[in-house]
Amino acid sequence: MVHFVWLVPLLPLLGFLITGIWRNRLSKTAIALTGCGTVLGSFVASCILFFQALSPGFRSTPVHLFDFISAGPLRIPFDFQVDQLTLVFLLIITGVGFLIHLYSASYMWSDAGYGRYFSYLNLFVFSMLLLVLGANYVILFMGWEGVGLCSYLLIGFWYDRDDFNKAAKKAFIMNRIGDLGFLIGLFLMISRFSSVSFGEVFSRAPSLGPHSGVMVAITLLLLVGAVGKSAQIPLYTWLPDAMAGPTPVSALIHAATMVTAGIYMIARSHVLYSLAPATLTVVAVIGLATAILAASIALKQNDIKKILAYSTVSQLGYMFLGLGVGVFGASVFHVMTHAFFKALLFLGAGSVIHALGGEQDIRKMGGLRRKLPVTYWTFLVACLAISGIPPFSGFFSKDAILGAAYQEQPLLYFIGLAGALMTAFYMFRLFFLTFHGEFRGSEESAQHLHESPPAMTIPLILLAVLSLIGGWVGIPAFLGGRDLLGNFLAPVFSNGPAASLPAAAGNTDLILMVVAAVLSIAVIFWTRGLYRRYRQGGTPGRGLVRLLEHKWYVDELYDFLFTRPLGRLSDWLESRVESPVIDGAVNGMGRMVQWGSRQVRLVQSGQVGLYIFGMVAGAIILFLIGFFLIK
Amino acid sequence: MNEIVFTAVFGVFLLFSGLFIRSKNAIRFIAITGMGLAFLVNGWEYFHPGNDWPGGMIHADHVSILFNAIALGCTLVYFLLSGKDFEQLGEHLAEYFALVYFILCGVGIASSFTSLLMLFLAIEIISIPQYILAGSQKSNLKSNEASLKYFLMGAFSTGFLLMGIALLYGSTGTFHIGEMNLGGSGIDPLVLTGILFLIVGLTFKVGGAPFHFWTPDVYDGAPSVVTSFMATVVKAAGFIAFLRLFSIAFSADNITAHWTLVIALIAAATLLVGNFTAVFQVSVKRMLAYSSISQAGFMILALVGLGTLAWDGILLYAAAYSLATIGAFAVLIRMEDYTYEGYRGLGKKQPLVALANTVFLLSLTGIPATAGFMAKYFVLSSALQRGGMLWLVILALCCAAVSAYYYFRLIWAMYFQEGEPAILPDRITPAFKGLLIFTALLVVAIGVYPGLVLNWLP
Amino acid sequence: MLLHSYVLEAGTTPISYFPIVLQLIMALVFVGGVMIATHLLGPKRKGSDKLENFECGIQSQGNARQPMAINYFLTAILFVLFDVEVIFFYPYAVNFKILGWAGFWEMVLFVAFFFAGFFYIIRKGALNWRD
Repeated sequence: MVHFVWLVPLLPLLGFLITGIWRNRLSKTAIALTGCGTVLGSFVASCILFFQALSPGFRSTPVHLFDFISAGPLRIPFDFQVDQLTLVFLLIITGVGFLIHLYSASYMWSDAGYGRYFSYLNLFVFSMLLLVLGANYVILFMGWEGVGLCSYLLIGFWYDRDDFNKAAKKAFIMNRIGDLGFLIGLFLMISRFSSVSFGEVFSRAPSLGPHSGVMVAITLLLLVGAVGKSAQIPLYTWLPDAMAGPTPVSALIHAATMVTAGIYMIARSHVLYSLAPATLTVVAVIGLATAILAASIALKQNDIKKILAYSTVSQLGYMFLGLGVGVFGASVFHVMTHAFFKALLFLGAGSVIHALGGEQDIRKMGGLRRKLPVTYWTFLVACLAISGIPPFSGFFSKDAILGAAYQEQPLLYFIGLAGALMTAFYMFRLFFLTFHGEFRGSEESAQHLHESPPAMTIPLILLAVLSLIGGWVGIPAFLGGRDLLGNFLAPVFSNGPAASLPAAAGNTDLILMVVAAVLSIAVIFWTRGLYRRYRQGGTPGRGLVRLLEHKWYVDELYDFLFTRPLGRLSDWLESRVESPVIDGAVNGMGRMVQWGSRQVRLVQSGQVGLYIFGMVAGAIILFLIGFFLIK
Repeated sequence: MNEIVFTAVFGVFLLFSGLFIRSKNAIRFIAITGMGLAFLVNGWEYFHPGNDWPGGMIHADHVSILFNAIALGCTLVYFLLSGKDFEQLGEHLAEYFALVYFILCGVGIASSFTSLLMLFLAIEIISIPQYILAGSQKSNLKSNEASLKYFLMGAFSTGFLLMGIALLYGSTGTFHIGEMNLGGSGIDPLVLTGILFLIVGLTFKVGGAPFHFWTPDVYDGAPSVVTSFMATVVKAAGFIAFLRLFSIAFSADNITAHWTLVIALIAAATLLVGNFTAVFQVSVKRMLAYSSISQAGFMILALVGLGTLAWDGILLYAAAYSLATIGAFAVLIRMEDYTYEGYRGLGKKQPLVALANTVFLLSLTGIPATAGFMAKYFVLSSALQRGGMLWLVILALCCAAVSAYYYFRLIWAMYFQEGEPAILPDRITPAFKGLLIFTALLVVAIGVYPGLVLNWLP
Repeated sequence: MLLHSYVLEAGTTPISYFPIVLQLIMALVFVGGVMIATHLLGPKRKGSDKLENFECGIQSQGNARQPMAINYFLTAILFVLFDVEVIFFYPYAVNFKILGWAGFWEMVLFVAFFFAGFFYIIRKGALNWRD
């Protein structure tokens, strides 16, 4: 079966081609069936692969498809590789991806670009599958660029809205900055190891010796790529803007694809990162800073999707923290649980927005509990999961990371805990404002309030179940669990510094867990008191609050530091350098070629005598050169 | 070896079937089937090598067979795309096809000769049917002129070739290219003169400057169907012979020092002349004629390189250039007006044809993801491997940029200029469209995955 | 033999070809010199008779460059083709015994090719005289 692994990405690719080429001919039903069916097929194939991997004799070997590039000593085969890490991601991508497709089939039904939407969505899944299946960095990079492209296309899906286009461009450019780092890292890798295959690079990497500057450089450059893709400081600003796309797209970007790519890449390269402890520290610091910064911004946002977007950035920060302190397995665990509850949150938000006819401001919502019962209960599950309340999934994965951070450095733990409490606060602020109290929207929209159709609620319910029980595969030993996920991933990370949660420190961890859970619950009740009876109105905040409302003015800072100076520089270059010098030179060259062409053409007169004379003259010149010039 | 025998015998067979079969479709069918068979017969030898020509004057190795396969495959595509247009030439349909078969027999010898005599024979077997084909439109003055000019100048250059062979024989006492043993110190002036004569003769045959003068007039004057073949498979065969001779016989270090600069200068001159003159053409056909000169300039770069990369490059180039040019000509033949104006609005009227044509032009320019890019890449890197040739590679890159001007002008005319394309709609059949798209896909496939061709190399 | 060895010994540098170059120059100088000398020294008489074609003393009739029927050429070329190929029989006749049956069959094949060609031109009507 492993040899048929190419089926997994092939199906969404076929779906992309079918829905893309015949987007105007196929009926909407056919498009939805193709779009969802291909991803479902991939999911089934991934499941089969997964169950094979559970058998004891499983070993991951690259599956050679064909030679992609061979230039001199460098050979880059088009290989796929299936190991436990890949399998976890495969299941997340295809499983959650399928639920999002299913949801979209109903959510986007009335949109004119239905076929286009599904073709992009399938291409997105295809790119992400390519990314996690590739057995070398170049294939990974192809998928990497693919998801970048698809996110651009989908964020700017409603391309007649100018601000949406801007958001799409912002996402693309931010990603490109990261990609540049990745590419340079790749080139450095090629020059040092003359290979990009995971197996060869990892086996050759230790030869550089401990504390190698080159290894730090490579890992830092790869980190730049991951920072761009996974929306970390300083390249995180695109993700909140990326909610311009349709809501299921946000779910796909935030949960199943795209942003997890950076985590995957670092987890995949854990051998390299383990050899560069300095970079790991950078990873941890960036992650923690992002987690705190994003969580603080989310405290005062009013757009339902924006809050969720910042919460994603913050959660990704936790995953980076996990990577940074060396618990790669725990980070992957958090990727998984996060995929469940974040997809659920976005789809739930989509359901709310759907019911309200496009309204996204939580100050104009409220009291939706009775009108949207399914959405309400599933959303509650997701909020509990993300806030880290036991026994919901987020609790286990987040505490796995925080516990490891405590062992590394208690300070990391306390900062992280603060972030987690902020998470509980903003999530339940969102929750209470949306679902409790009185409805604060217009009369008209109050009339149209309705629960979403089953195609939308079934994914919600499934995801809610997963958000509840998804964490149980990673219950650590000291809580009586067997840490199934950690053991499953152990072969991949076995040569890393720590496979998963260090089991030795059971008691400390238990205390930390209880503290975190109790504090979170307390925060939730406090939030309930604050926002259950929220009335509209209120003045714009001052001081710190205002700073938070404006997202720490980071966008403005970037605008001041980079965008505007660059704009001025390019204006200057355009008027002073480009038009007179470069255009002049280029046009001059063009004119010279044309002039030369006109002259040379005259030689071709059509007279054979002249031609033969030319040939003889040419031969004589060649003979003179051959005999007298070359010595 | 198989290919040589098969094409020769099948050519005669076609001649005779022309005596008895009146139906043009039947003759075309026989010719196409024969080409398919020739491809298979040639492919069979790849897996069952062995029988050489008695006397060891011909030895078909895997490179020869691979090139034969490329030549036969391109000819097959050419027959399928333009076979119907042979009927425009005149009444002797079977003879025209037979002449193509005879040329392919020469191509087979050119790719596998081991003796200078066989080289000469190959060049002549290739040339003489071309003189006839160029003049096959008897009532067309330009066709007659092309034939006569080609014949006159061809005969002239053959003199150079023979003289070179004679001098080499005089100095080394052998015709066998593997046994010349020129690797000692110093060089006999007779040998040097012989090599220079051979360079002149062969450069003429492949249309390199300053012996290219015949090319535009002949390619322009000859019927377009014939030009399409002359400018592609035949030219590529000339290069294979050229490279085979020089990489086997004259590749010793003390010898290459004497001729590499000469070849490099020829390459530079060819690139400059071809590209610069193509810029100002009004007729697309004449532009393609000059473009064939400039493409020859790139292929000469492989001769500068000499090595595995050069073989990779020349084989890829043969496939990429032949397919793209055959495709572009197949579209050209269906135009009533050969000027750039004639192509105006083709993108709207015949989107598929215009799309395929665009792919061909992009490949000729050397845009990535097309076969032309990979071919240029390999050829240029082979030239780079030889030290001191950076200037030539830079010049070649500049010329490639210039070439974008005249290729893109055509794309521009097809898509961005309003007008009624002067295309003959009744000759655009669905089968033709399908084949054209298939050819374009092939061009892209080789560009994305050059292993399609190169993996067959040993 | 002596000459042969001399050439082999010396034949490695361009200088050894100097005598040929010298001879070339001498020939050019001589021919050019003589032509100039005759031009300068010889007596000159100009008249219309000097520009007439000389045809063995017979009065010339019209222009020699007249179009002729292509059939003349065709027949002539075909004749030369077949005529020249027959020359191959001479070496075969000389080596008849040595070549044996293998040679015989090869010759039969050769003749068969001939007949095929002959058959072809007959069928094609190349020898039919048309105007």
